[in-house]
Amino acid sequence: MLVPENTKCECGHQNAVGTVLCESCGKPLLEELQKADTPLEMRYDGVARRSQKTNPSIIDRVWNFFSSVKIAIYLIIITFLTAMLGTIYPQENSFINNSEPWLYYEQTHGLPGKIYYALGLSRTYESWWFIGLLVMIGTSLVICSLDRVLPLYRALSKQQIRKHHQFLHRQKTVYRGEVEGNAGEWVDQFAAQLKRKGYTIHTDESGAAMLAEKNRFSRWGPYINHIGLILFLLAILARSIPGWQMDTYVTVPDGDTVEIQGTNYYVKSEKFTVDFYNDEELPDSLKGKPRPKNFETKAVLYQCVQDCSDPLKSPQLEEVTRHDIGVNSPLQYKGLKLFQFDFNLTPRLNAVHPVLVDKTTGDVYGPFDLPMKDSALVHKLGPFTLELYANYMEFALDSEGKPTTLSREPNAPAFVFTVKGPGLKPEGEPYMYFPMQKDKVRFSQDSINRALADRIEIRVDGMENVDFSEATTFLNVRMDKALSFLWVGGIISMIGLVMGTYWQHRRIWLRIDEGKLSLGAHSNKNFFGLRAEIAAALKKTGIEVEPKRLDNGGNNA
Amino acid sequence: MNLVDFSSDAFIAAFFLYCIAFMLYVISIAGRKWSNRDPVEHERKWSRIAFFFSSAGLAAHIVFFITRWIGSGQIPTSNMYEFLTFLGMAIMLAYTVIFFLYRKPLLGMFALPLTIIIVAYASVFPQEVQPLIPALKSIWLKIHVTFAALGEAFFAVGFAAGLMYLLRVIDFKDKSKSGRRAQFWVEFCLYSIMVVVGFIVAVFVFRGMGYEAQFTQEKVNIDAKGIATTLTETVHYTLPPIVQPYNSTVDHVGAFLNVNEPLFEAPSWMNGVNAGRKLNTVLWSIITGSLLYGLLRLLFRKPLGAVIHPALEGIDPDDLDEISYRAIAIGFPIFTLGALIFAMIWAEIAWGRFWGWDPKEVWALITWLFYSAYLHFRLSRGWQGLRSSWLAVIGFVIVLFTLVGVNLIIAGLHSYSGV
Amino acid sequence: MGKSRRKIQIVILIAVFIIGGYAIGTTLFAQNDNGQLRPGDKPPAFALADLDGNVFQLSDFEGKPVIVNFWGSFCEPCVREMPEFQRQYLKWQEKGLTVLAINLSEDTLTVQNFVKRFQLDYHILRDIGRKTERSYGLRSYPTTFFIRSDGRLMEAVVGGMSEEDIDKRVERLLEL
Repeated sequence: MLVPENTKCECGHQNAVGTVLCESCGKPLLEELQKADTPLEMRYDGVARRSQKTNPSIIDRVWNFFSSVKIAIYLIIITFLTAMLGTIYPQENSFINNSEPWLYYEQTHGLPGKIYYALGLSRTYESWWFIGLLVMIGTSLVICSLDRVLPLYRALSKQQIRKHHQFLHRQKTVYRGEVEGNAGEWVDQFAAQLKRKGYTIHTDESGAAMLAEKNRFSRWGPYINHIGLILFLLAILARSIPGWQMDTYVTVPDGDTVEIQGTNYYVKSEKFTVDFYNDEELPDSLKGKPRPKNFETKAVLYQCVQDCSDPLKSPQLEEVTRHDIGVNSPLQYKGLKLFQFDFNLTPRLNAVHPVLVDKTTGDVYGPFDLPMKDSALVHKLGPFTLELYANYMEFALDSEGKPTTLSREPNAPAFVFTVKGPGLKPEGEPYMYFPMQKDKVRFSQDSINRALADRIEIRVDGMENVDFSEATTFLNVRMDKALSFLWVGGIISMIGLVMGTYWQHRRIWLRIDEGKLSLGAHSNKNFFGLRAEIAAALKKTGIEVEPKRLDNGGNNA
Repeated sequence: MNLVDFSSDAFIAAFFLYCIAFMLYVISIAGRKWSNRDPVEHERKWSRIAFFFSSAGLAAHIVFFITRWIGSGQIPTSNMYEFLTFLGMAIMLAYTVIFFLYRKPLLGMFALPLTIIIVAYASVFPQEVQPLIPALKSIWLKIHVTFAALGEAFFAVGFAAGLMYLLRVIDFKDKSKSGRRAQFWVEFCLYSIMVVVGFIVAVFVFRGMGYEAQFTQEKVNIDAKGIATTLTETVHYTLPPIVQPYNSTVDHVGAFLNVNEPLFEAPSWMNGVNAGRKLNTVLWSIITGSLLYGLLRLLFRKPLGAVIHPALEGIDPDDLDEISYRAIAIGFPIFTLGALIFAMIWAEIAWGRFWGWDPKEVWALITWLFYSAYLHFRLSRGWQGLRSSWLAVIGFVIVLFTLVGVNLIIAGLHSYSGV
Repeated sequence: MGKSRRKIQIVILIAVFIIGGYAIGTTLFAQNDNGQLRPGDKPPAFALADLDGNVFQLSDFEGKPVIVNFWGSFCEPCVREMPEFQRQYLKWQEKGLTVLAINLSEDTLTVQNFVKRFQLDYHILRDIGRKTERSYGLRSYPTTFFIRSDGRLMEAVVGGMSEEDIDKRVERLLEL
């Protein structure tokens, strides 16, 4: 191949080195190909695809490596084989809160799991070698396409009408026969038939040679598809640019306003609601099981306008938008999206509005506002004064028997007041108050408070004096600036795919020499349809031939 | 009678029409050699009748689909039963499209049994209408599933034509090494199909008998803090237990062939969801499938491939190759759109990420990569015909794994129920 | 083409090298997604107030070794190690050691009562809305960050520590 060869065709055309079929008349240039009589390979119309050099440099070698379709196929195969490996066990990123993934793999899957983790397969799709494969596929997409589309474009834009006999007779679809009468007239008649099927007709000056062509644009389909894919891959890569992508979670109890980490935004959940299917709506096998029908968070998005990071002041917020976040309906604001992710229906006590009862007189004072967190330290109620001495979110006694809290969530809140008032010691008397009835009983509030329990009582009258969050919603906050590029890439790629597969580039060449008709035809796909078209057109000119008889063997490329 | 019940009747009608159409196709092919008739005329006449019946089956199937949709108020593609029946319908649609392109009715002899098996397989799964959980209430989901299934249906037709090609060209008298290897793998394909049939037969036979067995399984879970908790689960079997779940005790086992206890226990590493039951089901499928296969071998006294091979004589293998290629080429853009692009759009709307490397997504990508490799292979010399037919067969195996295998073996977001 | 072809080839290969290198590079040097700090990292900045309303920033202590300890009154091991930190603080104070004990977003009265009970001399800062805690990727309490005078993390210790544990680490912290 690399021996300098005579690339000048007998028709006088000078071809580039590596050309298989003369760019002008289509005659095979290689000697062994001239001798054979098998159908010709029509890929890229037999043009030279890349420069053949006797002494390739490193750049040529790399280029030629990525320019090979065979290498591209190998890359695709290796990619899907490794992708398979990644599905054997769950990937690490499918756990939201797992700081020790190695333990998971070993404990859940034993030794194979341990090996799986050690090989890095638990992060297959983020591994350097998987990304490396995608990079190589991307490179191959660029170089393969470039090396083929340009020569193909040149070959198709300057086609010779009169082709060599070898070229015509060695197509995959061939007809040879006699034509009676004037050659030019027959060609016109035949061309008229093809025109009806959408072919563009070119005849040479003699009128006895013709090229009919249609759907050439479908040849560009694969390359457009590849451009789309490259854009798509680049868009994915762009997501790793800092600030282009964000993915965090926020937990928002009803009524709370929570900062979205890493942004200037705050989100408030006014209310989270969930509906479950009732039993009549469910088939027998699912009856009695909670199956959510719909859930939604009434969310308000705020932007901080002042005092955003001053620890001494609370940030000043300004509402920017509100939306009822449903499962398929995120809140969207300037590229920021809030998705419904999960929920928790455990209620949380926020505040109570209790009254103070003087048991000796029966007088009732209050109600007063007692939030679980950061309550006022002094509450004046008629003649009484309550001074908040201590509070506990989840009351308990520690190992030394001292009161303590087990968490910072108001699961079992307790307040210790110093009560001053008529008939009490001037320095005040301690009174312990549990807002929740269950805790009152569990920690026997009355016996703790001893004598004072007979003098006063702090109690809540009715549920209207209890303020609590019924549910907590979990929202997923995302931002993805590369998204629009991604969709554009996908659309371009689809357009290319459809162009390339649903239309076929069909060409019919013929020449009549002394009443002998030689017809050769090529399609890049679907020879069946091409044969049917030719047979139908021939029939109209009086030549009856079975479509299948036009088949000259060879491959359905 | 409500619409959903009516749709079930339409479904049964479709099933029987498909079966009749299949038999008619067999008559049109096998009957060519019957006495006192013109083979070409016979084939033309009978295949026309067969196509009429298969179209009638498709019509009934579409009626099923539409009435179930109206009756349940949601598109019937949301559980395994509904999805597989839809896939069966899509295969018939794809077959009809290819039929109108090529007018080769004999493809029906392979496309119909494929549809019949898939539809019968669908019936194994619970058929009740399950109301949708919120994540599935999206127009994009409907588009995603229907397009993906339609693309896969074209791959299925490509598979049918590919398998026909193999059965047509592989010489069952060839004693050379490569010849024997080709024969073995074709036979293996047919055997695998028999195993799937065996699975369906086993499930329906034991369901008809009302068979049941139950186990209590103890599972030890170690959480992130290293604290072990023991979970007790009851596992129901509908097939007689050959293996019982790992670390389980028998609650009750119905007697079958006078055996009323399991023979083995599943190994400890099979600790996925219902792993023991799945293993048991696989064993039963292999046993029943092997029995069926063995019976057919006894009946014909030669490999099944060699039985079918002569019937396909007279079909042009090049046409089969072309049909297989064309079907895949038509299906590929539809699949890309449905299984990847629409899936990404839906995932973006529902979860805020267009791609999450969920096993189902990865397998859809694997299917796509495989078929794109196929399409590139077609451009290379020597990959048409035999090799590409093998690729069409392997491709469909990957499609089936993506649709069914992933759900049964790897759990993920797309979990449907299993048997 | 000719000469321009070679130019195009070189441009494309360089582009591939840069873009591909970037793609592979980001996977190799990617932080673990779970957001936890590792030795050598620069800990996130914060500006927090103590009980008297004095605002402190991490950058105020640049050039000095700093211990950042996250604690809550609800966390028993945190409570137990507070006096140990107090003794260590007194021991190493003159060598320039700073201890910043960040409370886990509890309310004022709770923190006040707690500090009153233990008589702590080092800075007690108050996180608000769990912001600082999140930026440090905290998963359990107490967690203590030993930050060298060059502003880089030496070690992050999860769980309660004895005085000896602290002592060992402070020695390492000061030797640098």
